[in-house]
Amino acid sequence: MNKAIEALEKGHRFSATAFVLDEEAVVRYLEAVEDEALPRLAQAEGKAWVPPMAVAALALRSLMEEMTLPAGSIHGSQELEFVRALETGERIACRAWLSHRSQRGGYWVLAVGMEGADESGRSVLAGRLTVMVPR
Amino acid sequence: MRQEAVGEERWVMGAELPSSAKTLSQEKIDRYARASGDFNPIHVDPAFAAQTPFGGTIAHGMLLLAYLSEMLTAAFGQAWLAGGRLKIRFRGAARSDETVTIGGHVQRVQEGHEGRRLWCDVECLNQQGEVLIAGQAEVKL
Repeated sequence: MNKAIEALEKGHRFSATAFVLDEEAVVRYLEAVEDEALPRLAQAEGKAWVPPMAVAALALRSLMEEMTLPAGSIHGSQELEFVRALETGERIACRAWLSHRSQRGGYWVLAVGMEGADESGRSVLAGRLTVMVPR
Repeated sequence: MRQEAVGEERWVMGAELPSSAKTLSQEKIDRYARASGDFNPIHVDPAFAAQTPFGGTIAHGMLLLAYLSEMLTAAFGQAWLAGGRLKIRFRGAARSDETVTIGGHVQRVQEGHEGRRLWCDVECLNQQGEVLIAGQAEVKL
């Protein structure tokens, strides 16, 4: 069910989500961000690597299927750790939780922790983002 | 990108990362919205965005981080994809007609049994030189 994020309590665990690093989506992402370095590196190594920030963006997108950010919400900070290089076709399972919730001025300050794992259950991505949501 | 990674030995304290400039446009922001699924109207709805303190649409923070990630991929290759860490704060917004510059430098080097670990200060500036993103990236070579 889609919920307004500012209505959630600290500690709330979002429903687990999963997505596949679809080649078409990765190509679309690379074109959108004009990344020339990753394709050059992947070609040199003979790998179908996915840009790490694309994995993070797709993970956030999967989270957004459960929560709604009101218009005017602003990304405040981002922490990310990329554990291993990922390739197209891999399936990533994501879990996320609301790790912080406070008020500052006219905004809710919310922090979301997240972790992505591959099909064997090994962590491949971890992160934390803060978002400023208008009150 | 002005430079290419030529070997680990070049990464000493103070070494500059390969900087780049990217010119934004509403078309590019819309393209990123379609690729990422983030259609927040602050990014894609000029009429809505005009009523906000920004006075117009702004680029997705994750688009600017993609530019940073491209720089780190160019600099460190697979070491960035596997084991890279990034911690940044968004300090300002990039408007849809701005040119942003991505850059950084090695701030700290630590030699250890498992190899070299680098901490780099990274940033994204707008054409007025204002800091939009500041933070630190970490890689193990």
